[in-house]
Amino acid sequence: MTTIQDFSGYNPTWCPGCGDWGIGVAIKQALIQLGLNPSSVAAVFGIGCSGNMNDFLNAYAIHSLHGRAIPNAVGIKIANHKLPVIAIVGDGDCYGEGGNHLVHACRGNHDITVIVHDNGVYGLTTGQSAPTAQKGFKSKSTPSGILETPINPLALTITSGATFVAQSFAGDALHTISMIKAGIEHKGFSVVNILQPCVTFNKVNTYQYYLQRVYKLGDDYKKDDFKTAVQKSLEINEEKFPLGIIYQTEKPSFTEQLPQLKDSALVDKKRFEDFNKLIELFI
Amino acid sequence: MTDFTWLIGGEAGFGIMTTGLVFSKIATRSGYHIFDYVEYPSLIRGGHNAYEVHVSDNIVSHLSPTIEVLVCLNKETYERHKSRLTSSSLVVFDQDEFEIKEEIKKVIVPFKKILSELKGQPVMKNTIALGASIGLLGGDIDELIKMISEQFAKKGDEVINFNKQFVQAGFDVVKKNYPDLIFNYLVKKPGEAKLVLTGNDAFALGSVIADARVYVAYPMTPSSTVLTDLAAWQEKVGMVVRHAEDEISVINTAIGSSFAGVRSAVGTSGGGFALMVESISFSGVTEIPLVVFIAQRPGPATGMPTWTEQGDLLFSVFSGHGEFPKIVLTPGDNEEMIELTAKAYNLADVYQMPVIVMSDMYLSEGHQSISKQFVDEFIANYKVNRGKLFGQDQISNIKDQKYLRYKISEDGISPRLIPGTPGHFYQANSYEHIEDGHTTEDAQPRIDQVDKRARKWATYLKNDFTLPKIYGDIEKSETVFVSWGSTKGIVLQAQKLLKDKGVESAYIHFTHIFPLDKEKVVSMFNQNKKYVLVENNSWGQFGKLLRMETGIEIKEKILRYDGRPITPEEIIKHL
Repeated sequence: MTTIQDFSGYNPTWCPGCGDWGIGVAIKQALIQLGLNPSSVAAVFGIGCSGNMNDFLNAYAIHSLHGRAIPNAVGIKIANHKLPVIAIVGDGDCYGEGGNHLVHACRGNHDITVIVHDNGVYGLTTGQSAPTAQKGFKSKSTPSGILETPINPLALTITSGATFVAQSFAGDALHTISMIKAGIEHKGFSVVNILQPCVTFNKVNTYQYYLQRVYKLGDDYKKDDFKTAVQKSLEINEEKFPLGIIYQTEKPSFTEQLPQLKDSALVDKKRFEDFNKLIELFI
Repeated sequence: MTDFTWLIGGEAGFGIMTTGLVFSKIATRSGYHIFDYVEYPSLIRGGHNAYEVHVSDNIVSHLSPTIEVLVCLNKETYERHKSRLTSSSLVVFDQDEFEIKEEIKKVIVPFKKILSELKGQPVMKNTIALGASIGLLGGDIDELIKMISEQFAKKGDEVINFNKQFVQAGFDVVKKNYPDLIFNYLVKKPGEAKLVLTGNDAFALGSVIADARVYVAYPMTPSSTVLTDLAAWQEKVGMVVRHAEDEISVINTAIGSSFAGVRSAVGTSGGGFALMVESISFSGVTEIPLVVFIAQRPGPATGMPTWTEQGDLLFSVFSGHGEFPKIVLTPGDNEEMIELTAKAYNLADVYQMPVIVMSDMYLSEGHQSISKQFVDEFIANYKVNRGKLFGQDQISNIKDQKYLRYKISEDGISPRLIPGTPGHFYQANSYEHIEDGHTTEDAQPRIDQVDKRARKWATYLKNDFTLPKIYGDIEKSETVFVSWGSTKGIVLQAQKLLKDKGVESAYIHFTHIFPLDKEKVVSMFNQNKKYVLVENNSWGQFGKLLRMETGIEIKEKILRYDGRPITPEEIIKHL
C-alpha cells in the first residue's frame, strides 16, 4: 500500500500558512486513494511557488518552463495514454503565460488533469498581480491598481470545451482531495481551480475572505447542463465562489479518437516496417 | 543526351503545381532524372506561378539557365521567362489569348477552343498543356494517361475518360501541326526505378524510417508539407501528428512525448523556430531528445515566405539561452536528407539533446529524383539506436538503488528510463539539478552538471562527427568551394561546367555543421588555395561560424540573398 511518505520528496519550502501546503497534501492523498504510486503517474509542474512542488512530490515528472506544463502533459499523454497525467500549475502560469495552451487543451479534450493554484498573485517573483487578481488590486507591478478585469477560469474553460471543470478551496483539504480524484478519474480534459490564499503577498484574498464567500454546490446542482454551468461560473464575477464540480460531460478524449492508438499505447507499439506502402507514393 | 528545362506558368490557383509534379513523374517513369522548382507568391489566387522541371540523364539538383520548352498559360509567363529562351526553344501558347511578336519557335495550342469544344473547366488547360508537352518531347502518351488515371482513380471512369480527351487533344495538335519541331528528349528508355521527392518528403520519409512516432507542427511555409505528409500517413504508420495551437505548444508537446519514451520531432521555419527557442534550451538542460526540422525562408520577421535563403544558420546554432550542447545537421540533397534525418533521431537519443536538421525552400519544396534502390538499401541497413535507454535487464540491475537520471558519467551521457517503469521515478528538471533530478543552486553540482553536458559534445565529436565531403581533388585545384546545405547541387554543377572548360576545382560540403572538430577541419583548409565561400545569405554565416570555431577565415564569398537560389553560372562568373 502506497503511503504519503512514498510520494514525499524534499520538505516543502512554502511560507508557513501558504495554501500550497493544503494542496500538496491533497494531491498526494488523491493519488493514494486512486491506488497510484510514484511510478504509475506522470506529473508536469509549471514555474512558480506551485511548480516548486516538483521537489516535494515523487513521480515521473517534468519541471517545465513557465506556462508550458500543459503541452508537456499533452505530449506525455499522446505517447502513453495509459499513464495518468497531471499538470500542477499556477494562475500566472496557466491563465497568463500559458493561456493559449489551456484554451486549446480544452478544445482537444486531452485526457489530463490541470490543477491550478489560484492565488491572484505571482508569489515567487514577490507579489505582482496575476490574471485572476480582481480589478483594482494593488501590487508592485500595478501600484495604482490593476486596470484589467480578472480572467474567469471556470467560464473560460467550460466554454473552451473542457469536459470537467471543478473548483475547490485550499482551506478545505477533504473537498480538494475529492475534486482532484474526480478530475483524474474523469476521461477527458479536467481542470480543478483551487482558490488559494497567498499569506505573504495577497492581503485581499485571505482565508477569511474566501471563508465568507465560498459555498458548496448542493446535490441538486445539475453539473451536466452546459448553460447552468456557464451561469454558475459567472458568479465569480460577483465574488461568490461555488465549490464542487461546476461542469462535467462525457466526450471522447483526444487519444480515444486516434485509431492508431486503439490497440496499444504509442510507446508500446511495434516499429512500422512496411515501407513499400510509403515509397509507392513517390514513384 | 537529354538535358532540358520545361517550364509551365500561369495564374496562381489553376493547378500549375499538380501539373508540374505530373510532368516530373512522367520524366522519371520514362527513365530520366529530374529536379524541379516552383516560384509562387504568398497568395492562393491571382499571383503568378511558375513550375520548372530540369530533366536529365544524370542525377540533378540545380536549375538550368535556359528553358527549352516554355508553356505559357498566360501572357505573363512569356514576359517573365522569355529572357531564358534560346533560338531553339519552343514556346507553347494560345494565339487566341495573346500574341507574341518576337521571332521565336511558336507552338500554337488552341486551349480556349479545345476547352469550349470539349466543355472543360479552365483548370483543364493544364491537361491539354501536358498532352502537348509530351507530344513535343516525343514522350509516351500512354504513360501520361496512366498517371491521369491514377490521379483521378477515386473519382471513377467517367472523370478519367473526360480528362483523357484533353490530354489527347493537346497531344494531337502538336503531332499534327508541328511534326518538325518535335524534340525526342523524353523518349522512354530503360532505367532504374526512381522516387520523386521534395526535401520535405525526404524528411518525412526519413522520420518514419527512424521510427519517429510523434510529429508536432504549426503550418509555416516552406515546412508545411512535412506536416501534411505525416498527417496523411499517421494511421498507416502508427504515428501521432498534432497540429498544435502555436510553435511553443508544438515543441513542448514533442518534449513531453519524447520524455514519455517515443521518438519525437517538430518542424517549422525561422519565425516559428524563434517561438520555440526557449524550449530548445529546455530540451538541452533536461536532456530530453528532440529532432527539430527547420526549412528556412528569407527573414527577418515574415520576410519573403515562399522564397529561399540560408539565413538562419547562426540563429539555429546559437538558439537557446544558457550554455548547453546541441547538434546541427545540414543535408544538401534528398539522399542526404533521408540519411541525416534518420541519423538525427539516433543522435538525439544517443546524446539526449536537441538535434536540428536544416533545409530551405529550395531543398524543401523542389522535387529531386533519387534512385529507389538507394532508399531501399538505406532502409534495410538503418538501425535504430536508442542510446543509453534502460532495458529490462539494466532496470533489474538497479532494482534496489535509486535511479539517477543525471548520473555523472565519463562520456557525459546518463542512462534514460521510460516513465511508467515500475519501482522507480525521476524528474526531468528545467532548473539546474543534482544527479537524481532535484533542483539545486549549489556551486559544485552546478559545475558537475554543466561539465557533464559539455562532455556529450566531446563524445559526439569523437564518435559521430562526420567531416565534410570533398568533391574533386584539392591538391590539383586552384579554387576550393566551401558551402553547406542546399547549395550542394549548384556547386557540383559549377564544378562540372568548369571542368568542361578544363578547370579543375574542389568543393568542401559541410553536413555536420555544428559543433565542428577544430583540428580535423583545419587540416582541410591549410593549403595555399583560393577558398571561396558559397552561401544563400548576405552575411556569409557559415564563414563566420567557421572562423569562430576554427580560426579559418575565407575572404572570397559568393553570396545571394534576393530570395532566389544561387546559379552555377553565377559562381563561374564570379571566378
